[in-house]
Amino acid sequence: MTRNNDIWRHALLILAALFFIGLMLIAVFASFKTSEEMLTPLALPERFYLGNYQQAFVDLWRPLLNSVAITVPALLLSILVGCLAAYPLSQMGAKAGPGGYIFLLLGMFIPFQIIQIPIFIIIRAMGFYDTIYGMWVVHLALGIPFCTFFMRNFFATVPRTMWEAAQIDGCGAVGYFFKILMPASISGIAALAIVQSRGVWNDLLFALTLTRSPDASPVTRELYGMVGAFQIEEGPLMASAIVSTLPMVLVFLVFQKAFTRGLLGGSSK
Amino acid sequence: MPFRIAKGHRQRTRWAYAAFLALPVILFTAVYIYPLVYSVTMSLHSWDGMSPQWTWIGFGNYSSLFDDERFWTALGNNFRWLIFELLAPTAFGLALALLLNDKLKGAGIYKTLIFLPFTMTPIAVAAFRRWIYDPSKGVAEDVLGAIGLGALQQNWLGDPDLVTYSIMFSSLWWKTGFSFLLYFAGLRSVPQDYIEAAQIDGAKPWVIFWRITFPMLWPTTIVVLGISGIDAMRVFDLVQGMTQGGPYNSSHVLATLMYDVSFQRFQMGRGAAIAVCLMIVAMVIVLPYIIYMSSRIEDVRE
Repeated sequence: MTRNNDIWRHALLILAALFFIGLMLIAVFASFKTSEEMLTPLALPERFYLGNYQQAFVDLWRPLLNSVAITVPALLLSILVGCLAAYPLSQMGAKAGPGGYIFLLLGMFIPFQIIQIPIFIIIRAMGFYDTIYGMWVVHLALGIPFCTFFMRNFFATVPRTMWEAAQIDGCGAVGYFFKILMPASISGIAALAIVQSRGVWNDLLFALTLTRSPDASPVTRELYGMVGAFQIEEGPLMASAIVSTLPMVLVFLVFQKAFTRGLLGGSSK
Repeated sequence: MPFRIAKGHRQRTRWAYAAFLALPVILFTAVYIYPLVYSVTMSLHSWDGMSPQWTWIGFGNYSSLFDDERFWTALGNNFRWLIFELLAPTAFGLALALLLNDKLKGAGIYKTLIFLPFTMTPIAVAAFRRWIYDPSKGVAEDVLGAIGLGALQQNWLGDPDLVTYSIMFSSLWWKTGFSFLLYFAGLRSVPQDYIEAAQIDGAKPWVIFWRITFPMLWPTTIVVLGISGIDAMRVFDLVQGMTQGGPYNSSHVLATLMYDVSFQRFQMGRGAAIAVCLMIVAMVIVLPYIIYMSSRIEDVRE
């Protein structure tokens, strides 16, 4: 009976997997097809034609570099600032009260539209419109509520006895944070980095609002321009879509475990 | 052995904490609090985004917005998205996680395949799906034909009555992996001996699910619902990438409408008014959730 049950499970799961991966495969095949072959979208490519990828790399190498140049520093900074805020919040415990917490959650749940226009105006006034630093500032600040929330939950799991022992050894709050707490929290920081990098990399809203030229446009904005173009060639477009999304897919495949832990907000083990 | 901390030391610790909080609080204020006030003020003015002149028009932006059919369509679509996001990917993800929970052969492969679409950049999802739906390219038609449902072919993104559901279906394809993965992890924390004990007592699988598994998964469900709810309010990338709110403004949500009004037509005051409405709707929905969450978190600590 159990065996029979397992066969059913496999059958349903294979159907589900086909649903999820089937459409993706159609797009992957398309990216290796010449424009004549595109007339039969479900067929396998006859030979693996690489011209679409050549064009995708020519179009996208600069935006890809921009995306990396935006994501990596913004990510590191927002995690650092999140840790700074999370540390006192985790130490003060219940006394910090639900007040601070509600603020953080509000920041996490607020629709970005309410801050979109003012941020556009502020960034323009600072002279950071259409620059990579402008995107750093925005993503650094936007990431603070989530990073704080996440790291506070993580720090709360570090045993209090560690802080007490450090105090006996004459270690102050600052020394404890940098020398003991941060190194002990590497696994949490890694999980946060993976979740947060996805948010920064995928961002289209602020990319559209704050960048314009090839000097600063990330890959999402570039792809948006291609999708909306008057004449669309699907082969190169699919290749571009794959290239733009590949870094995140690879990050996920390599760090699958940390990703899951990160999605759970560090609260659950 | 109890130990005492000198008073001066405690004082110094308190100053250190204040120093730690300074930079985050300044940034938070600059990016959330100040812009929020700014947007609310702007929504009471008429402004083109360029000229130094702001003209006070009171609630003029709001009253003209409430006369605009596009606004009500967008708001209605946001509510449809809300119901959809709360139910569909959540239920589908849970069902898949339950199917996969046991020590099934190849579980790792299934898990990766189901989750893979979620790792894609949303605008790339929009690019794929737009091509698949395009009737002149015939991909959807061929797929439906291949599984014997060719008669169901529609103009998926061209029919105003259908377009929002077509985009939602893409979202289901993209996002189910997320709730699936959370439930998959959550199921591991359900103690197996409870379930085995119930099985020995002869409980039906359905009863075991409702009485044991589902209540034990409640913390996971809270996280999934919270994130899905706010995603429904924020939905932008897929709609903007696939239809830009068309055809005939039928697929607009408030976020895309606001982008169109503010950054294509440069009616900043009116755009800010849309943003304020969106925030009020989101807060009415999310605030009870936030209060519930923060009370639970304090429970965990004690």
